[in-house]
Amino acid sequence: MEKLINILEELNPSVDYNTCENLVDGRYLDSLTILSLISEIEDCFGIQIPTVEIIPENFNSAKKIWQLISRLQEEE
Amino acid sequence: MSYFSVLYILVFLPLVIIIYNILPKKVKPLVLLFSSYLFFFLYSKWLLIFIFLSSLSIYIAGIYIKKIEKEKNEKIKDLDINNKKIIKDKYKKKKKIILIIAIIFNVLFLFYFKYLGFFKNILNNILNLFNLNLKFKIIKHLAPIGISFYTLQAISYLADVYNGKIEAEENLLKLMLYLSFFPTLVEGPITRYNEVKDKIYAGQKVTYHSFCFGYQRILYGLFKKMVIADRLNIFVKIIFNYYSFFRGPIVFLGAIFYTILLYMEFSGTMDIVIGTGEIFNIDIPENFRQPFFSKNISEFWSRWHITLGLWFKDYIFYPVSLSKFVKKISNNFKRIFNNRVSSLIMGGIALFAVWSLNGLWHGAGYQFLFFGYYHFLLIFIGNIFEPYIIKLLKKLRINRENFFYKLFRIIKTCLLIFIGELFFRANSLSSGLNMMKIILTNFSFKGFNKVILSLGLDIKDYIILSFALLFVFIISILKEKQINIRKSLSKKNIVIRWTCFYALILSIIVFGAYGAGYTPVEPIYADF
Repeated sequence: MEKLINILEELNPSVDYNTCENLVDGRYLDSLTILSLISEIEDCFGIQIPTVEIIPENFNSAKKIWQLISRLQEEE
Repeated sequence: MSYFSVLYILVFLPLVIIIYNILPKKVKPLVLLFSSYLFFFLYSKWLLIFIFLSSLSIYIAGIYIKKIEKEKNEKIKDLDINNKKIIKDKYKKKKKIILIIAIIFNVLFLFYFKYLGFFKNILNNILNLFNLNLKFKIIKHLAPIGISFYTLQAISYLADVYNGKIEAEENLLKLMLYLSFFPTLVEGPITRYNEVKDKIYAGQKVTYHSFCFGYQRILYGLFKKMVIADRLNIFVKIIFNYYSFFRGPIVFLGAIFYTILLYMEFSGTMDIVIGTGEIFNIDIPENFRQPFFSKNISEFWSRWHITLGLWFKDYIFYPVSLSKFVKKISNNFKRIFNNRVSSLIMGGIALFAVWSLNGLWHGAGYQFLFFGYYHFLLIFIGNIFEPYIIKLLKKLRINRENFFYKLFRIIKTCLLIFIGELFFRANSLSSGLNMMKIILTNFSFKGFNKVILSLGLDIKDYIILSFALLFVFIISILKEKQINIRKSLSKKNIVIRWTCFYALILSIIVFGAYGAGYTPVEPIYADF
């Protein structure tokens, strides 16, 4: 989780990722930042994020993103 | 039969409501299906067969994909991880073949009706360039109504079944209703199967409350169209057809008026569509969210024609940007530069694909492609410079949340949108470029006051327009502040509610731009 928070802070340091729960809906993460995030996550955690998983519900908070990573790691 | 016609609002819709309410719950969705096919038939006659073929094709493809998925699950039950992966890949390929065949089948219809003429002209021009004495000829056919909308819905349904987001529908009639649902058929919104299926087949009774609520929204749509859009139509028509007779400010005013007209016509249609849905207790997604309050072009497109933007995002932008080919290119950039540059490249390629298709989707013509690339460039350049602008603002100690800075951004975005819409409406790309030339090189206000009163609008029209626009503006501000006006109104007593109702009806009757001297706007998005 710490790794993920570091990645997110590098992309947009102005957000408190421990509490924010509307990263996509609140436009803290736009589509370009999401692409950067996906690219970093894929490199860092050795997973592939399918396009069908790119929905606001999976990216609205650090916790949700972490859940997605864990799920995809299990599936791989 | 336009959604704004007396025939739709006072005959077709009430008749459907009566029959729908009389018949038992189980039959209600069938009433909607029959009404939708009748609605389609009234517009496009026997081209009805094409929407049926689209429905049938995605139905069969969906069922087949479901069958393959079931077979796969049976096979991988007792396998180890490595073998599971091999089987999964094998079945994924099978599913992909079905998906591609079905999409090509549907897109071919769209291509035939909408783009064949355009590409024939391009081909003939190329042949001409090489002095080849060959010319392709085709017979132009009228396209089935709403083909651009229902084809996108068909693709979204199949892609979602393929991705396991939704289960394939086993009832053909239900899919037929989803693709042809009469309120959304002509101009959208582009709905997703999982967001409408439960309500559309629920067969809920039309109640007094749902009836009044729906017709309220329909009236607001009528107001926008008849009082504002239809009033501006003559002015816009004259400017775009005879732009060379006018000076820059008048031509630019024509572009502003066209943008307002387009918004009032399209969002007004959406009010009627969503209002019709409300009558039947079916939630149809919003297609507009106060677009003229956007601070940049990217935000504008997340507030204007929302469902089209989301469609492109889900089915073009992410699949293209995360495709193996694009990832390979962006990884090379990542090695040389950094993650941001590689994302810009990834996003840039996908954005280019999105706006090429978005331009073409709006029409088969060079001006529409130009319209697409214009927005692509604005968004792409905006993405490149955003971090530098943030740094510059910090240095200049300008707060991004400052009201005047926000206002500056909103005005800048509106100006860019007016230019984009000028090309969108222009009779051809060269007309659009000539109009821009006049705006930039002939900027004189000489005779401005006289001219604006000689283009089909008199002082009375301008006064009505000002008040009507102010009314829509106030409602937009309230909506932007998340104030639900209709909910608050519904809590007031019956006298206040019906006074508002009648005031809206009267204002349409008294101030509506109809009869001699006015030409109503044709449904603009129906042509797409």
